[in-house]
Amino acid sequence: MAQETKIFKEDILFHEFNTTETDYNQRGYHLEVALEVNQVRKFAQKAYDAGFYLVFVTGFHVLSEETEEGTTSGLNGVYTFARYDRLYRIKGHVSVPEDMSLPSICDIYQGANWHERETRDLYGINFEGHPNLKPLLLSDEDRDFHPLLKEEKNLKSLETVSWPPEALESVDADAGAKAPSADSIDS
Amino acid sequence: MLESDFQEKNRFFLNMGPQHPSTHGVLLIVLEMSGEYVLDPQPVLGFVHRMHEKMAESRPCVGFMPNTARMDYVCALPYNHGYVSLIERKTGIEVPKRAEYIRVITSELNRVASHLLWLGAYLLDLGAFTPILYGFDDREHILDILEDITGSRLTYCYYRFGGVSRDIDDKFVASTRAFIKRLRERFVIYEKLVTKNIIFIKRTENIGIVSPDMALRYGMTGPNLRGSGIAYDVRKNEPYSVYPEIDFEVPVGAQGDCLDRYMVRIREMEQSLRIIEQALDQLPEGPVRAKVPKNIKLSPGDCNFAVEAARGELSYYLVGDGTSTPYRLKVRVPSYSNLSCLPELGRGILLPDLVSILGSFDLVIPEMDR
Amino acid sequence: MGEENKSSLIQPDLEAYVEHLTSESCKPVIEDSPGPILRMELSDRILKLCQANSLWPMTFGIACCAIEMMGTGMARFDISRYGSEVFRPSPRQSDLMIVAGTVNKKLAPVLLTLFEQMPSPKWVIALGNCAISGGPFKVKENYNVIEGVDKLIPVDVYVPGCPPRPEGLLEGILKLQEKIAGVRHPLPQNRHPGSPLRKVKGLKLK
Repeated sequence: MAQETKIFKEDILFHEFNTTETDYNQRGYHLEVALEVNQVRKFAQKAYDAGFYLVFVTGFHVLSEETEEGTTSGLNGVYTFARYDRLYRIKGHVSVPEDMSLPSICDIYQGANWHERETRDLYGINFEGHPNLKPLLLSDEDRDFHPLLKEEKNLKSLETVSWPPEALESVDADAGAKAPSADSIDS
Repeated sequence: MLESDFQEKNRFFLNMGPQHPSTHGVLLIVLEMSGEYVLDPQPVLGFVHRMHEKMAESRPCVGFMPNTARMDYVCALPYNHGYVSLIERKTGIEVPKRAEYIRVITSELNRVASHLLWLGAYLLDLGAFTPILYGFDDREHILDILEDITGSRLTYCYYRFGGVSRDIDDKFVASTRAFIKRLRERFVIYEKLVTKNIIFIKRTENIGIVSPDMALRYGMTGPNLRGSGIAYDVRKNEPYSVYPEIDFEVPVGAQGDCLDRYMVRIREMEQSLRIIEQALDQLPEGPVRAKVPKNIKLSPGDCNFAVEAARGELSYYLVGDGTSTPYRLKVRVPSYSNLSCLPELGRGILLPDLVSILGSFDLVIPEMDR
Repeated sequence: MGEENKSSLIQPDLEAYVEHLTSESCKPVIEDSPGPILRMELSDRILKLCQANSLWPMTFGIACCAIEMMGTGMARFDISRYGSEVFRPSPRQSDLMIVAGTVNKKLAPVLLTLFEQMPSPKWVIALGNCAISGGPFKVKENYNVIEGVDKLIPVDVYVPGCPPRPEGLLEGILKLQEKIAGVRHPLPQNRHPGSPLRKVKGLKLK
């Protein structure tokens, strides 16, 4: 299984983003994409054109850090896509900037409508362009209460909850050895 | 039909729920209506929000097992299966073959029980009082079989990390085989009572047609998707456990109306019986539980696992941080994506057709609210 | 609920919410009502026997326990033997509310509205651990689940279990009948042949 996924067209499709091949048996998905905020909509559009369906949109909360662009808010958004005809799962994650807003992908994937409402309920991430950002799971009075935000003492940094880099090296070595000849394969 | 002046002047809002006689749970649908036609249905969720994901972050991963059963209580064993398989994939625990077969047998029995309950409840919504009695009677036999080994009737916590908690005995095998034989004879009754019933056919044919493109945009999975012609089943597409060694088909429908979804589920029940028979024939000897460390530590990083529950694809997404407590656990439930297409699907339809569509989607509200 | 606007990490105050909801409900009216002016004991007793023998539940299944409640109404466990022949969806036509499942902050006003719509005399059975005390969801980080439906409405019978067996619900109905009329299953329609005829105090049956 792991060898076959390298000759699909999909990993060529997403080459303009910062992608990493992952080991499916270890992680459950084939491609990890680190996105910038302005790349989210392009990523979703490419996935829709390629025939992926939206699995979920969610977030998680880590310690906020200082980077060159400024302070991050500590929130991260996660987008997962999969296919109906083949086994290929993609996970994209994006770090939410300090103004706590991400672009909405509702006009591309209408299923994201509810996923984004729920993420706003639970984390407070504001999705720009969403037609109806009312509370979905919590009551109207609790619209400013975000239950899944962690307290200070429970927050960990992003490195503590990410795969260590040496886990990816073994996969990258395989990718270099078997160079994909994607133009001979149709989708 | 909607452009006439009379209809335009007679718009009103109707609350369907949160307490209504169909048994799907506590769902409120605010309907903007014009006469008997629904203009805009908007579901309102959150009446059974029981903070499962928050509870996962404050107890060791072992302590989340009871929650998995209470999310979808009608078909709880696949939820158990997804969670234990997720932790096993993350920590690299090997499961003995006998335990895998027992998991498959019990999951498929639970799937049949869930579809029988769906059948009864759907027909109760349409106004037929008899099939629910037949369906529940058959379901009680399955509950008896499963109660002998798991100990509970409804919310099972039978699977453990590394296997199952108790071994099955000859009584289980014999009663399962007898039940399969009995249910095959009962399918003839359902065929005559329901499938060939002209009233049922008129209530479900050409109603609520879901196109494959709509299904892709909303992320629908399960029998709702297979009714539209796309043969996507996690057990075939992304095989887990011992499904690769068992031979079964994935039924699909033609156009995606309520009748197609009904037929897909009926044929899925028959395929589940096939799976159970083959699994019982191939059942090996051996231990049913692997040796697992007492305190399971989740290594840093994230992990995903997808299983086929009765209602569609169920995914667990876990972010670990090195301790035994998950840092973040996301449960992607199938009914959530299945229902989100209702505002688009339910525009301009009659109110009884809306009831028929909701019933054919097979929703369980507590799993949507988590 | 203004506290949450300041910081999203402060838990919403559930006790204050329940207080606020029940302060306007009819709970004080039920507890302090004086009763009828004229009381005739024999007719009271007959009325109570009739009420106990035909309790009509309202379908208020919320979560997992709802399936066991449905199972009790089905062919194997048959609740209609004990008088609950029909499950009425409308609260105005029923006299027993079986709260089966977890009551939530969003659901609490709905529950109170339904309870107030039921005409007196009415009874409540709390089915399952969630309705009794919050059940498996009574945890430290609870922000949403009302811990026990008896914080909102007066409960007559508690049936424990997660979920309780259908026989448990039947026992709950029988205990409620005992509470109303003083005797379990007062006027059995299909008396098992050979079993003794029940003696009801003050009532001569042949």
